[in-house]
Amino acid sequence: MTFRDRPFKISLALGALWVCFFPASVFSQAPFYQGKTIAIVQGRDPGGTGDMRVRAVLPFLQKHIPGNPTIVNEYMPGGGSRKAANHVYKSVRPDGLTIGNASAGMVSLAVLGEKGVLYDLDKFIYLGSPYSSYHGVFVTRKEAGLSSIEKLRAASGIRVGGQSVGFSTYNEGRLFAYVLGLKEPKFVTGYSGAELDPALIRGEIDARANSADTVVRRSPDWLNKGLVDFHAILEIPKGEKHARFAHLPELESFAKSDIDRKLVILQRAFRVTGQPFFLPPGTPKDRVDILQEAFRKAYKDPAFHKEYKKLTADDPTPLMPEDHERAIREIPREREVMELFKKLVGAGPLPAR
Amino acid sequence: MEVSLFHAALQGLLNLLHLKVFLAMLIGVSIGTFTAVAPQGLGMPLVYAILLPVVIRWEPVTGIALLIGASSVSAICAAYLPVLFGIPGGAGSQATVLDGYPMGKRGEARRALGASFMAGGMGCVIGTLTLLVALPAARPLIYLMGSPELFVVMLWGLSMVAVLAGRRPIKGLIAAAFGLLLATIGQQAQSGIMRFVFDQMYLLDGISISIIALALFGIPSALDLALTKLGVEQQAAPLKGSLLDGIKDTLREWWLVVRCSFVGVWIGIVPGLGSQVVDWLAYGHAAQTCKGARETFGKGDVRGVIAPESANDAKDGGDLITTLLLGFPQGVVTALFIVALLAWGFVPGPEMVKKNADLIYSIIWIQGISGIFGTLVGFVLAKQLAKLAEVRYTFMVPIIFIFVLMGAFSANRDPVDLLVVVSFGILGYFMRRFGYPRPAMILGLVLGDLMEKYLYRSMASYGFSWLTRPAVIVLLILATISFALTLRGRLKETR
Repeated sequence: MTFRDRPFKISLALGALWVCFFPASVFSQAPFYQGKTIAIVQGRDPGGTGDMRVRAVLPFLQKHIPGNPTIVNEYMPGGGSRKAANHVYKSVRPDGLTIGNASAGMVSLAVLGEKGVLYDLDKFIYLGSPYSSYHGVFVTRKEAGLSSIEKLRAASGIRVGGQSVGFSTYNEGRLFAYVLGLKEPKFVTGYSGAELDPALIRGEIDARANSADTVVRRSPDWLNKGLVDFHAILEIPKGEKHARFAHLPELESFAKSDIDRKLVILQRAFRVTGQPFFLPPGTPKDRVDILQEAFRKAYKDPAFHKEYKKLTADDPTPLMPEDHERAIREIPREREVMELFKKLVGAGPLPAR
Repeated sequence: MEVSLFHAALQGLLNLLHLKVFLAMLIGVSIGTFTAVAPQGLGMPLVYAILLPVVIRWEPVTGIALLIGASSVSAICAAYLPVLFGIPGGAGSQATVLDGYPMGKRGEARRALGASFMAGGMGCVIGTLTLLVALPAARPLIYLMGSPELFVVMLWGLSMVAVLAGRRPIKGLIAAAFGLLLATIGQQAQSGIMRFVFDQMYLLDGISISIIALALFGIPSALDLALTKLGVEQQAAPLKGSLLDGIKDTLREWWLVVRCSFVGVWIGIVPGLGSQVVDWLAYGHAAQTCKGARETFGKGDVRGVIAPESANDAKDGGDLITTLLLGFPQGVVTALFIVALLAWGFVPGPEMVKKNADLIYSIIWIQGISGIFGTLVGFVLAKQLAKLAEVRYTFMVPIIFIFVLMGAFSANRDPVDLLVVVSFGILGYFMRRFGYPRPAMILGLVLGDLMEKYLYRSMASYGFSWLTRPAVIVLLILATISFALTLRGRLKETR
């Protein structure tokens, strides 16, 4: 066929007319994420609460990302989420098709300079977290007779139960014991979450830290039958009262010095980062913008709030991407405070006050 | 509103008499059966995580029928891989390989499968009946077993090494000691100290017991077939025996089924013990107490299949006692089940037992009925699947290798797991070749971590005074008697 052929001339003329009258269909581009698959690399085993939090977000993420890509979960447990964070930081192509999700341990381990951290926390690109609010309470069993702060402080050798060294609830137990001024407490560790409550009621331990929401939801007997005494609460973020425990004194009010206060602030800063979603450094800005906007819309979607509540039995308290970045940047990094915090959450005796 | 237990049980059964509940249970049974035969990476936790967002939109009883139907059956049908391929099943079905695979190799796969399904079904029913009877009264039992008592029980469990070692006690001790050593790898929970981690992230959480068990038994089986059968004998042993033989064996050993089922229920009740232990403790108990076990266990004794399978399936009943009565999850699956209950507006615990007794009994009925369905499904499929045992070794060997490697990789999607499985597979081959009993090593591995945890907590909480607790003294006496009897039996043999 040549230019001189009549059919060709007609085709060319029709094409030119089409461009004039319907330019969008010629010049528009399919969204980048159309037909693509995004992998969420989770730093945990499947099936736990963390996994359910992520699953609650996914349908809304898919809805709000232009092009509605397929989203799949991959699981990479190990090292308190260090393995997944290292993988996303070092091994994943920064093309916006892989998103990491880790526990709050990913943040605290990096800030405290623990071994096995191969990522730079400040270089990740954050996409927010489905939850950020938390209330930790310190409880003692009723039979121990520690019904007031004064009795708590007067008693020596109180056995405080916790999970493994480094676990966030263990850290909070140690923090409570330190700031409340317990005398020579003993820390009995290595319990799983399910073992701690029977151990407390059985008398194997005298005290523990726990999530206020978990107490209300899973142990109504404690409240209704007065099986335990509640002593203090750690509000995250500060000032956000818990509906059931608004009467409890906030832990920071027991701080005797500036450094005590900074320890509490540091633990709050770790917890408020929640369960971060993040992208590897170097991800193109346009894709970052798309994903951050999609996460914002997902977090604000009323249907997401319902779904989250159904899957986790908690209300979501999402942290938007920009707030998340700010929360990470604003984590106190004073050397003296961090060194003291490391001793505080270690396995040895509590540091002297 | 509180109602009498009888009315609650009746209402609970009536709740099930709807077509959609029945269909949901059948779908759950199908999913559970598929999960049981799939490679290890597709486990119940992942299945629950996928199903949960769907079922919480259903009516509670229908959703519960699906979830409980799936989880109760996956344990019953987990014997295919151990019997047909010599690959340990998921947690709770590992010990079955010790006698199930030898039975499969000599053509008795149908008998082994029949025995395992019948034992599993009976174990499930016993576990359910225990749940039914014990639910109102199990609370004191759960609180009775503290860290000191559990340490002594684990110590008792370790004494089973003497039995699992067979005729080679020194080699058994060496294997068990090696298992205890392997259990120390990783970050120690109590002190945070890194032991044998060598700055490797992979070793921070220790080496997975499932992967070690898969490697120790799966690869030597395949290597053995490849090195001895290829070129020498191309045909597998012809199938003999039948499902009915296996069923009769199980009914004849009913007392063993009952004892092992109670072992399973007890392990399910006690928080923190975990499903890794149940089949090994039941197998060890059977090896200690069954007549002539010393000569026949590990070589294709059907009792070595009946014991772990009945315990494994009864354990679900024990799990539900703690989950429903106290709201304590016993693992990921029960944790997700609690999430589902909360989503439907029920708070597991004593109040739920009082106010929603009919729902509790619906759960109990579903647990029992789906166990029976699962057993029947197992019987239907077993006849056809048993023919896999007739497959020529030239096809079987690569299939076994593929299953083992897929199972190892799909658990964590970590390529280092493949290296681990090959390394331990070679170790397992040489252990078998030179007479070091692999079950003893697995027992050391499984119990080592638990023993250290319970001993640490006992000392931290009580100092040495835990040794004077009445339950500890009773358990120590029982453990000493059990060990003395085992030793006496061994001394008699050697004379």
